[in-house]
Amino acid sequence: MILRVLRPERAAGGSGAGHRRTAHRDLTDSLPEREDGWASLLHMIEIRGLTKRYGDVTAVDGLSFDVRPGVVTGFLGPNGAGKTSTMRMVLGLDRPTSGSATIGGRRYADMPTPLREVGALLDAHAVHPYRSAVNHLLTLARSNGIGRGRVEEVLGLVGLADVAGRRPAGFSLGMKQRLGIAAALLGDPGVVLLDEPVNGLDPEGIRWIRGLTRDLAAEGRTILLSSHLMSEMALTADHLVVVGRGRLLADTGLDAFVRSAARETVVVRTPGARRLATLLEEAGATVRHGAGDELLVTGMSSAAVGDVAGAHGVVLHELTPRRASLEEPYLELTGDSADFASAAARPAARSESEAGAATTTASMTTSGAAR
Amino acid sequence: MTAYDILRSEWGKFRSIRATLGCLAGALVTTAAYGYLFGLSSARQYLAGSAADQAAFDPTETGFRALVLAGVLVSAVGVLAVTSEYASGTMRVSVAAVPRRSLLLGGKAAVVAVVALVAGPPMALVSFTLSQISLAARNVPSAGLGDPGVLAAVAGAGLFTGLVGLYGVALGFLLRRSAGAVSLGTFLLILPGMAALFPDAIAEWIVVWWPSAAGARVFAVHPGPDGLAPLAGIGVLAATVLALLCAAAAVFRTRDV
Repeated sequence: MILRVLRPERAAGGSGAGHRRTAHRDLTDSLPEREDGWASLLHMIEIRGLTKRYGDVTAVDGLSFDVRPGVVTGFLGPNGAGKTSTMRMVLGLDRPTSGSATIGGRRYADMPTPLREVGALLDAHAVHPYRSAVNHLLTLARSNGIGRGRVEEVLGLVGLADVAGRRPAGFSLGMKQRLGIAAALLGDPGVVLLDEPVNGLDPEGIRWIRGLTRDLAAEGRTILLSSHLMSEMALTADHLVVVGRGRLLADTGLDAFVRSAARETVVVRTPGARRLATLLEEAGATVRHGAGDELLVTGMSSAAVGDVAGAHGVVLHELTPRRASLEEPYLELTGDSADFASAAARPAARSESEAGAATTTASMTTSGAAR
Repeated sequence: MTAYDILRSEWGKFRSIRATLGCLAGALVTTAAYGYLFGLSSARQYLAGSAADQAAFDPTETGFRALVLAGVLVSAVGVLAVTSEYASGTMRVSVAAVPRRSLLLGGKAAVVAVVALVAGPPMALVSFTLSQISLAARNVPSAGLGDPGVLAAVAGAGLFTGLVGLYGVALGFLLRRSAGAVSLGTFLLILPGMAALFPDAIAEWIVVWWPSAAGARVFAVHPGPDGLAPLAGIGVLAATVLALLCAAAAVFRTRDV
């Protein structure tokens, strides 16, 4: 584990250790400064065997994973997968039934001024409707000995400086999200947890969050960003932790996830379907018969399929490469665990996972139907 | 994170909630209005009473009755200081900022207690003055602020409202819902007023020992042989409130937010 910390996946590891977070200065200064960031040890979230039961319902079921500094970790899963419960336990709000969640080896509840170390946005609606934005932030700042100057700074940072004196009752959801993010950044924390931060944001706001989280990670901070949207994570996260029904489904780099997802399917229509299928299978491709004279070919590029057909004089009516989207492997992974999957979607998802992992053809039918 | 930081933070929260300020203003209006009305009612009773009744009449007794009614609103201030955080969802934000929950509860309780403590004597002053004015206007014997024991009762009002405010804080943490905590809090506070509905033995016990009744003994300028001494009475209320606060802290420390 320590080895992994010493070799951050992306460059920015400990770039800011010396000048950035005053709250940690006393701690980090006592550690040897290294290019790869000793300081990052202080900011790793470690989740070990975390379990939370609410009565009969097991919201989180033996989760174990690390969230490392310097990268954006996407925390992905369908609604009800246990993402929010996990974050609450990290923040010491809910007590785990068993297991532990620590930050830099310490429990959140043991931190003397937690806002200076960990910033979190759990629920953008959690603001008092009649307490002005600036007062909301001031009450938080005061409790952790953070000055008024910093309150004004973060209000500017999230673009709410002009409405600082207004009451959140009149705020749009997007403005409340920004206020929530301002609160998360108040203590200039080394660890930032954001639960569904893009909910309710307009496209400009979504892009802003994307840039902000990437910048924060580049400064060496630990960023855990939850979402139920794979498409959003694909653009923001470096690393993915996928959960379903409280269990860990995947803990992988985004690149690896994309590679596994990027298998191309070639759609071929030909009057000589049966013959071409045999030829392609002999050449090493996997072939499935579609509707009518359609073939779905995997494991071979469209050019190679064309070459095989040409070499044997098979007439082609269509030759179309089709790239799987990132949503597909994600849905395949979580399909069985979605709590509220629609009745129509569920049997399809089941049969996919039953067919095993290498069912690109099966997921093609799903995507074909969706199109 | 010092206790001072938390007090400042909680004071900031308290100030910016309109409902609590409204309740405090309402409590002051209540003491004024009911102080005057209780005075009128006592005057009528005096004038209709026998010579023996008139001889035993204690004009100070009517002066502070309104404080018990105002206590309902003061306890609501304590309740709302807590339940407004649960209602808006900010309790999670607050606990994330101050994970030492007893300290958070202590900060909230201290702010409410100080505000209620400071608000008590002016309420008592208003109630007492208006009640004596309405007595005097009907040529019924009345008391002055300078009479022995009156200023002590006025000061004691601060203790009463302070404790009642803390009582609201404890109920707020225990029940977490504004409506539930305010209605239960009100019911328990005014229960002695309904003592006559109970069998005699229970009624007598309630009138003497029920914490809100016992606490109101602090207003007794001429405590008779019946009932507790003023300080003993407020002591009963204080012990009850302390027990409720301990229960609230125990629950708040262990419960998921």
